[in-house]
Amino acid sequence: MNLLGIDLNQPATYKDIWEWVSVSVPNLIVIIIMGALFVGALLLPFPKGKDES
Amino acid sequence: MTSAVRKERNAFYARTWGGKNRHYDIFKEGAIALAVTAILVVALSALFSSPDDPPLTFKGWAQSAPENFYATAVQQLAGTSGTATYGPPYNEGDGISVGPLTLQKWGGVTHPVDSVNDLVITPLSSQVEPSNVTAALRAWNAAAPDQQTTWATAYDEAVQATADDNGDLHLDAVTKGDYGPVPDLATGLLAMANSGAYDNAMTAQGQFFQTDQTKQLLMMGDGSYMDGIATEKNLQGNTWGMMNEAGSWPGQIWLAFWSVWYQLPMFNNADGGTLTDNADAIIFFILMALILLFILVPWIPGVRDLPRWIPLHRLVWKDYYKKYGRFTA
Repeated sequence: MNLLGIDLNQPATYKDIWEWVSVSVPNLIVIIIMGALFVGALLLPFPKGKDES
Repeated sequence: MTSAVRKERNAFYARTWGGKNRHYDIFKEGAIALAVTAILVVALSALFSSPDDPPLTFKGWAQSAPENFYATAVQQLAGTSGTATYGPPYNEGDGISVGPLTLQKWGGVTHPVDSVNDLVITPLSSQVEPSNVTAALRAWNAAAPDQQTTWATAYDEAVQATADDNGDLHLDAVTKGDYGPVPDLATGLLAMANSGAYDNAMTAQGQFFQTDQTKQLLMMGDGSYMDGIATEKNLQGNTWGMMNEAGSWPGQIWLAFWSVWYQLPMFNNADGGTLTDNADAIIFFILMALILLFILVPWIPGVRDLPRWIPLHRLVWKDYYKKYGRFTA
């Protein structure tokens, strides 16, 4: 058991995306997080360095 | 774009940097990345834990599906199991291929597995057996190979003939015939598996520190026990099994590039077919072609220009382009 108290030892639920394409919910969550990180990397500004000269 | 304009553009982007410089410490960045990753790993492990499935055993198989284990033992003796007919690297055969490209055959038999002896006779001979099994072993070993095949094939066909519409076997309905010592050998192996001795006997084949589980996996793969559990846990190829984790944890997303091909109906047809039967070999070539394409991107006209047509990098470097401009012909 984990700290969240969620039993993840059950087979995952699958979502039908399109025709023969289906994806498990946990994988879908990771794909959405990866997509969000990619969009963030494109749009978020670079941090400014202190020693820019 | 003419050659002259291209030269001018390349010269523009290769000009000496005249803007501000910034100190950059790759070790500091690496250390920060390592620390953040370590914190994430520990935190996510504590929050979600990880799969801890018990290993599959022959004892578990024999107790949950004894008919299937028994029938698989008979198939090993008859040479009709998946292992016996697999081809290289375990035994002689053609294996999967793409047209004349017989990849599996080219590899040769590098890890020989004799389904009769390695999976049935040797384990049975490794312990003291009841008298009927000892007599069966003696009769089997004394018989000519043709006689062994005749007995085992006849019994295999008789066992498989008892399957009902669901594919379940009914051993009490096997027709009488001349099967020699085969029924006693299969009964002996089932008893061995039931007691847990077969698990030990299979592990005992090999070196002192045995890490090669090939024979165990092949035997398990020939029956329905492991296959059924894999289906239940979404670990089959047609449910992204290659990149899935057991349970409801996310899997190995980076294997999606390989796994996606197995989702195509032509590569996972339940009724088989040329494309499905040779899916591993065909998908291997598809991926090799795609990897080659990626390696050769800088030399492929059109593909190498995609960043100019879809300038996502200008979003990342928007401050640079705002300050220092872009080349205009």
